[in-house]
Amino acid sequence: MSESEMLSMRDLMDNQLETADGRMIGRVADVEAEWRDGGELVLANLVTGPQALAGRVAHWLEVVMRFVFRGRFERTIPTSEIEGIGPTIKLRGRAEEYLVGQSDRWIARHILRYIPWSGYW
Amino acid sequence: MSRQWLQIALGILTAIGGFVDVGAVTTAGEAGAQFGLGLIWAMVLGTLAIMLLVEMSGRFAAISKKTYAGAIRERFGFKFYLLPLSAALAANSMLLAAEMGGVSIAVSLFTGGPWRRYYPLVALLVWLMIWRGPFKLIENAPSLMGLVTFSFWVAIFLLGVPSPELVSTMWRPRVEPGQMAGYLYIAAAMLGAVISPYLVVFYSSGAREERWTRRSLVVNRASAVVGMGFGSLIGIALIILSALVLGPQGVGANTLAEVGLSMARAMGPLGSLLFATALFTTCLGAALEIVLAMSYNISQGFGWEWGEEKLPAEAPRFNLVLTLFLLLAFGIGWLNIDPIQLTLYASTFTALVLPVALFPFLVIMNDRRYLGQLTNRPWMNVALVGILLMAFVVAVVSIPLMVLSGG
Repeated sequence: MSESEMLSMRDLMDNQLETADGRMIGRVADVEAEWRDGGELVLANLVTGPQALAGRVAHWLEVVMRFVFRGRFERTIPTSEIEGIGPTIKLRGRAEEYLVGQSDRWIARHILRYIPWSGYW
Repeated sequence: MSRQWLQIALGILTAIGGFVDVGAVTTAGEAGAQFGLGLIWAMVLGTLAIMLLVEMSGRFAAISKKTYAGAIRERFGFKFYLLPLSAALAANSMLLAAEMGGVSIAVSLFTGGPWRRYYPLVALLVWLMIWRGPFKLIENAPSLMGLVTFSFWVAIFLLGVPSPELVSTMWRPRVEPGQMAGYLYIAAAMLGAVISPYLVVFYSSGAREERWTRRSLVVNRASAVVGMGFGSLIGIALIILSALVLGPQGVGANTLAEVGLSMARAMGPLGSLLFATALFTTCLGAALEIVLAMSYNISQGFGWEWGEEKLPAEAPRFNLVLTLFLLLAFGIGWLNIDPIQLTLYASTFTALVLPVALFPFLVIMNDRRYLGQLTNRPWMNVALVGILLMAFVVAVVSIPLMVLSGG
């Protein structure tokens, strides 16, 4: 990405996260920004997870989700991991390098393997 | 070049298969039996709308390289996306139950047993085909077999020319006093059955599965216009058949077997066989498309790995969702609601939620950030908004009337 390129919220929010090995691992549910010394406001992380998503719908739903999940499924990806933004947000790493990228594997290992012909190996 | 022609032919066949389903068969049968040719206009209007929508969804996939549900979530945000998603979930689960009921009834027409006996087997067949069947098989096999539906036109020719009196019902519908609620209800159901939002999601996801590009736009336009056009001709044939055979005898098309009687009258046992085959293949094809469309919608909206070409373990959440959705629909179908009633509920409900389900997509089709120079032309927007609003109004008016008149 060239340094002068301006991004708006809609390039990031809800966009598709795609890993270096071409896997779709989720969509951006929220973003985190931080104040740096010198007064710079910097976009730090992309956030995924049920709590962040629920917060987009209604505050009370986020409270419920926080009570139920206690942050177990909330994941952040530092913006330094972003390689480029196009139809998808391309990440530098492979799916297994991100916690959110491991969910598919988890479901395959714990659920699909018990269903015949799932192709689980 | 010959390869492109093959693609066009295949696209057209798929589109025909996608058009005819339990909703089209039921509403066409009811319409013909009760109102002669007086509801052909609804079939024609619905066809125009679905032609436009299918063309748009193919163009969208080929140009933007985005997914249907993904774009809706990106453009309108997650909270808004839940609205069309829940409308689709409610409509599609009822409709899937009805389609599987249609397949089961087709089997019972062959064997003579009660259809509910075959219902679990049909659900299992649908699941197996989706679980491991390649996309090409799901897309092409039922639609190729669905060509038996052309026998509906043969039957009309065997039955002879419709009387001038019947033909005149096309522009002067015979609606007796007290039948107005029923007339509008079937009109709404027919519009909801023909303008299937699931087909739009399925078609655009199929275009992504096959990696369409700008070069695919010719195939896209041909399959949308010619394919949906032929599909509509089959729906119209069923209206005419029912009007010719069931109407004069006062048979109300209350079951799918009764709809099939018109084929038996025209062609004898062969006619019954052809009708059962047509019902089986078109409903099976539609059931597969609905399951996939729902799972495409959810997986794309949440950004999960999706694709029918992948093994279940390669796209686990996509396959888990389609399995759970199939179970939900199976449960609804098991509630002992008559499949024809369920079809009418599902189709009228679809008509009611058409604006919610499809207006967001229409906004995206006018967004240059997704389509560059290839956004919708103004007449497409006007025609589509007009038809969708009309379907919505007819549904809004007819549902309370039907409830008041006691169904």
